[in-house]
Amino acid sequence: MAELRYAFYTGCSAKGVAPELYNSTKLVAEKLGMELIELEAATCCGAGAVQEKDEFLALTINARNIALAEELGLDLLTICNTCTVMLRETKFKLDNDPELKEAVNEVLREAGLEYKGTSEITHFLWEVIDGVGLDRIREMVVKPLSEFKIAPFYGCHIIRPQYLIGYEDPDNPKSIEMLIEALGGKATDHEARLACCGFHSFWSAEEKVTLKLTALDAESAKEEKADFMVTPCPLCHTQLDAMQPEAESRIGVKIGMPVLHLPQMIGLALGIPPKELGLDKHVVSTEEILSKV
Amino acid sequence: MEKFKLKVFRYDPTKDPEPYYKTYELPIEKGMTVLSALFKAKEEQDPSISFRYNCRAAICGSCAMRINGHATLACKVQITHLLEKYNTDTIVVEPIGNVKPLKDLIYDMDWLVDKLKKVKPWFIPKEPPPPDGKEYRQDPYDHHKIDFASDCILCASCMSDCNALKVNKDYLGPMVLAKAYRFAADSRDGAKRDRLEAVLKDLNLEWCVRCWECTTRCPKEVQPYENIIRLRIMAAEEGYKTPGEIHAEIFEKDIYKRGLLNEMLLPMRQEGVIGAVKRAPFGIRMMLKGKVNFADFLGGHKVKRIEEVRKIYEKAKEKKKYVKIKLPQIMGVVYEDKRKNRKRANFTEKLNETANK
Repeated sequence: MAELRYAFYTGCSAKGVAPELYNSTKLVAEKLGMELIELEAATCCGAGAVQEKDEFLALTINARNIALAEELGLDLLTICNTCTVMLRETKFKLDNDPELKEAVNEVLREAGLEYKGTSEITHFLWEVIDGVGLDRIREMVVKPLSEFKIAPFYGCHIIRPQYLIGYEDPDNPKSIEMLIEALGGKATDHEARLACCGFHSFWSAEEKVTLKLTALDAESAKEEKADFMVTPCPLCHTQLDAMQPEAESRIGVKIGMPVLHLPQMIGLALGIPPKELGLDKHVVSTEEILSKV
Repeated sequence: MEKFKLKVFRYDPTKDPEPYYKTYELPIEKGMTVLSALFKAKEEQDPSISFRYNCRAAICGSCAMRINGHATLACKVQITHLLEKYNTDTIVVEPIGNVKPLKDLIYDMDWLVDKLKKVKPWFIPKEPPPPDGKEYRQDPYDHHKIDFASDCILCASCMSDCNALKVNKDYLGPMVLAKAYRFAADSRDGAKRDRLEAVLKDLNLEWCVRCWECTTRCPKEVQPYENIIRLRIMAAEEGYKTPGEIHAEIFEKDIYKRGLLNEMLLPMRQEGVIGAVKRAPFGIRMMLKGKVNFADFLGGHKVKRIEEVRKIYEKAKEKKKYVKIKLPQIMGVVYEDKRKNRKRANFTEKLNETANK
């Protein structure tokens, strides 16, 4: 088996409003034999916000982030869809434009760094599937999720755009379904599985766009009688879970759909106690899930 | 000969109370497109099916439809590829989304035209043509900025699958914003500010949710999403203080000060005291769940090597104006994981493997 060592890029959310994602990732990674070396000097990826104001700054900051992984000689592993796409965007642009790469490196060299392009950017979901492997996961399951109907919510930036992601077909991805199946659960085929949670227009279109999308997504999972939604992205999680009460008020309907982070779902099947996975840290109650584990 | 099912959205408002689906069985022919399948069904089985088409070569943009849930040109996609892609024996054909169907796959285009008019999608010269009688000229980088955006064929595939438009029909949408960008970014155009005012009206430009669906759907290389982002950059450069611009400033400051975003203080900084009060229920909820890092209220911790970050930040800001960032070429590009033994995941294959076990 290949050595599963990664430069671990946490992103802001896992260090901010989603500590349960950080903790559950570490616990599950350890159990799966993945070694995560945390990039403690890494900064925010810009989240698309900096990219809308100063593209060169965003590229340079992310080139530094990737260079930190290159210093360790490791591939960079993320746990957030938006971090993945922003770091990939930098890598794609620099690797395909030598002049731009040189301009960025002129800045990085002032601080004794260099972006080479030797580290790949990858997401936890993909490494669980292709690094650890679904067969191995199947063997490690001690508490199969056979009681659960689970609604996969991919989140945009782990499937789109193809020129930056390309892991699987953005029109018909199956990775989360495959993982759910390996953990013994049943995935729902709900309308919103590839939809957007609305997070990125929250501050400018909360009422007009964001909360309506959030409500549609959670309702869609409920229509298929899902026990919970699962997402590989902490931004989707914040939107779907922590903002679900606002989304309910927006449409005037109670939804009450629990949302789990991807590693939390894996952790449950691997027999890690729910409290250690931080299932008590969610806004929408996870008690019904706990009673079935 | 092997057959497949073509399931077509049918609706004639003069006699059908509700739309319905009708399925036609057709032979699978190599190279057959969805458009040619529709022709075959119409010619051999049901002459009443209505759809728009013209060039049959992905140039005119007339035959955009939703095919198995995603908008594209019916003349551009082949039946055999779709059957494999969706692991199915059925191709579902519907009108594009976010529109009013008129008959079967034909939809009302007036609303698109009305939206387009708002951004004046025509060239408004900055100055009279050169006195030497030659055409307006442009340096290659200035042309490059609008090169991809000029390729739009107005097929509205991007409008169909836009997540923001799905819940807000007042949104101008990616096709219209891409067109606004095409002219606003044209060095020969004299109405940049008018165009920006038009897209910023009611903060319309800010309603994009960054889902990247439009760029994914575009059958050309227009990159509507990337153009929306460039419009936002232009608005920031022109000094418009939108919520997006304020948001970006907070991110920039936090990267400089501490490296990571301070999410706890974000509402206060984004929306001021009123905002903080409005967000109080959310904040309290997060505190009760133990999701709040109290140190963050005092500024929070810094990432390691923050001095290095600041130096790079300052140098990047200085250098910015000398760098010409090119638009990426994305037509048909699928990101390739450079590591050995890593190819694009093919889950149809994996599903079959599992089934065989």
